Amino acid sequence: MSITIKSTSLSSAKPAAVSRAAAPAAAPRRDDRWSGWLFALPHFLLFLVFLLAPTLFGLYLSLHNWHVLAKHHPFVGLANYQSALSDDIFWLALRNTAYFVILAVPAGNLVSLLLALGLAGVKRFATFYKVAFYLPVVISIAVVAVLWQWLFNTQVGLLNLYLDAAVTGLRHLGLPLAPFEPIPWLSNPHMAMPSIALMSIWWGAGGNMILYLAGINNIAPDYYEAATIDGANGWQRFWAITWPLLKPTTLFCLVFSVLGAFQVFGQSYVLYGGASGPGRAALTMVLYMYQQGFSQYEIGYGAAIAYLLFAVVLMLTGIQFWLFSGRKAKD
Amino acid sequence: MARFLGQTQIVLHAILLLIAFLFVAPLIWMVTTSLKAPEDIINGLGAMRWLPHPATLANFHQVLTNVQEFPVWRWTGNSLFISLATTLLIVVVDSLAAFSYSRLSWKGRDKIFAMLVATMMVPGQVLLIPTYLLIRNLQWFDTYWALIIPAASSAFGVFLLRQFFMTIPKELEEAARLDGCGPLGVFRHVILPLSKPAIATLAIFTFMGTWNAFEGPLIFTNSQEMRTLPIGITIFQGHYNAEYGPLMAAATLAAIPILIAFLMFQKHIIKGISLTGLAGR
Repeated sequence: MSITIKSTSLSSAKPAAVSRAAAPAAAPRRDDRWSGWLFALPHFLLFLVFLLAPTLFGLYLSLHNWHVLAKHHPFVGLANYQSALSDDIFWLALRNTAYFVILAVPAGNLVSLLLALGLAGVKRFATFYKVAFYLPVVISIAVVAVLWQWLFNTQVGLLNLYLDAAVTGLRHLGLPLAPFEPIPWLSNPHMAMPSIALMSIWWGAGGNMILYLAGINNIAPDYYEAATIDGANGWQRFWAITWPLLKPTTLFCLVFSVLGAFQVFGQSYVLYGGASGPGRAALTMVLYMYQQGFSQYEIGYGAAIAYLLFAVVLMLTGIQFWLFSGRKAKD
Repeated sequence: MARFLGQTQIVLHAILLLIAFLFVAPLIWMVTTSLKAPEDIINGLGAMRWLPHPATLANFHQVLTNVQEFPVWRWTGNSLFISLATTLLIVVVDSLAAFSYSRLSWKGRDKIFAMLVATMMVPGQVLLIPTYLLIRNLQWFDTYWALIIPAASSAFGVFLLRQFFMTIPKELEEAARLDGCGPLGVFRHVILPLSKPAIATLAIFTFMGTWNAFEGPLIFTNSQEMRTLPIGITIFQGHYNAEYGPLMAAATLAAIPILIAFLMFQKHIIKGISLTGLAGR
């Protein structure tokens, strides 16, 4: 390829070599062809072997009956996918995962947004609050889940102790409340996913909060000043200015939250010691993939589950982009 | 006070302070429980007491001395070594690649870069099973290689650094070229010195991500000696099932280093998230 100057965004960094033809170093740009490859090579090799190859290899595995201990791994076409789609436990895992996403993503994003709005309104000590809200994010899910297992303890867990104290206090004040029944946070099938979602929101809300805060800070103060002069109250300013201008941030946060939430695994794995929870209520898609692949050694089946997860995630991401771009066009 | 802050500010601070407490309280509870005597942990009033009374290091003693069963120091060393090695590898490899994708022109460059970006959509969990087989075939299972090399292959760092490198003015590069610098010289003397903030961001996030990693170390290792701290926690959990004193001591040990690192670098971390959109997964 000879020297051409394009102004596409991808090649905008290419220097204009033409006017420097008299440069002392003989045609320096021609070296770039080789040095360019050399510079990119270490990463490209890692990328090829540990990202691209496993992605494709996973697809290959999912088309085979691949048991770790077996000598031969016969090609079975789409049989693994068919088994998954007619496997009640797979559907349960998918439902549980979707339930987790529905519980954790909208609520989690709302918490992040509210925290950011609160922080944006505060004139002092903002750093202190930011650090406090972000603190849980830096801790490993293993530590988080072990800690919350203790908070969730039905008899002596902090959550139930305080709820008990609150209910008893309100009863003393004369409110007609029934005596507090300890909540079986983790042992009741109906409570398992809500509990995991609660823990996950606490764990992750700080991350999106910072993104929302950056989005809010990017809004020019002139808009608010003009709206205030026009007599808009706080609520109107939020709906007319903050919310529409935060749409790109919201889309970004939602897409990546959904992507992350569909991969929920450590929460269930640690809280229930690798098992599926009461009545399999904590069985998620990745946990089911893990159990099939690494406990049952059904590698092909596990890979098929992983690919179905991938498909679901891609579809949902597409829907979110479509939803948000469609709305934008209407505005 | 009201005159200086305004009433809405006071209300806002009160609410934020309460929520900040809710976010930090579980961590405080973890630390104080780790300092409690066993009978205090499960007895009605003692269980609700925030300050241990009296405080005891017995839980930590129990966790740290049974090195036969729980090589905690080894796990800490593993976590530290793996996190540092991965960070170093990613910073070197990704910055070289980002330099190439942003500053050097070669045939197919933009197509390959587009492919890198496209694979950022692949959920990490999809890779677990194939990577596990790959690692077994390479005979890396239960070695440091398994915990470092696959983790260093992401496209995100290249993407992040490339975006930053593109903002560096062309004129600086031209001047260096005129002074006789080759590509390596431009990289070392122009790009790297100007990119310290971006590289530091990538380094901090890689370090935290590797330190906290869960699935990889769980699946790619199986001996006690090769576990990392987060996986070590789950081993404790199996043994001390519902003995919350030692469990909280172990959890505290695993959380403290990363909490200290976060508090030290919090300014850069928070700025890094706002600039790059890395929400800390």
